[in-house]
Amino acid sequence: MKEFRYVIKDKVGIHARPAGKLVKLVSNFKSIVTIHKADKNVDCKRLFGIMGLGIKCGDEILIKVDGVDEDIAVLEIEKFFNENL
Amino acid sequence: MFDFMKKKSFKIFSPFAGLCIPIEEVKDDVFSQKILGDGIGFKPTQGEVLSPVDGKIIQVVETSHALGIETNNGIEILLHLGINTVSLKGEGFKVFVKEGDKVLRGQKIMEMDIDFVESKGFNTDSVLIITNGDNIKEFEKYPGEVIKGETIVASVKL
Repeated sequence: MKEFRYVIKDKVGIHARPAGKLVKLVSNFKSIVTIHKADKNVDCKRLFGIMGLGIKCGDEILIKVDGVDEDIAVLEIEKFFNENL
Repeated sequence: MFDFMKKKSFKIFSPFAGLCIPIEEVKDDVFSQKILGDGIGFKPTQGEVLSPVDGKIIQVVETSHALGIETNNGIEILLHLGINTVSLKGEGFKVFVKEGDKVLRGQKIMEMDIDFVESKGFNTDSVLIITNGDNIKEFEKYPGEVIKGETIVASVKL
């Protein structure tokens, strides 16, 4: 399993648009990807799961990636966060 | 359990008054390229928004411009009012339901102040998207002029 932490810099946080792009990206991988905020975590392939976390600017989240393609997946997902959020 | 009792198809009734358009024509890539899933677009002429299906509210975004409904057969529907309207931080939008509420088709669930949203320079085109479309077999859409709560805009087979 791979993981990384990220502090959201985008001023509106993870709303529908970035959440949708994230789901689309994560769906390309076989790995199970979860997004954690405080004591909650959701499946990163489910739009309403991610939106339900209500992630805002300044929030720290943890992404866990577990599966056969976790090495490439974690790199791509981290890149997505750096470029979009 | 009881899965066999669930209906294998349902119809989506127009949540808006106005015009129903193909999602590909909505002026926002994230919708038109179906990044959130397949769906239908609307050009609303009135602010009132009715529930398009029977179901349960699974999410209301804090900025009141979008919400999620789960149908009784587990299909998740996103209703998103206007383009880029997250930036309005709730101004111009009202939501009359909360997470966990059961809703009936035709029930008033949201309202968009079309004049206000347009005056702020935003496009009021709105979308209805099935976000867990992997679970459906067929999604037939019927674009055209629509009467809110009455016109069938799509039928879905599971």
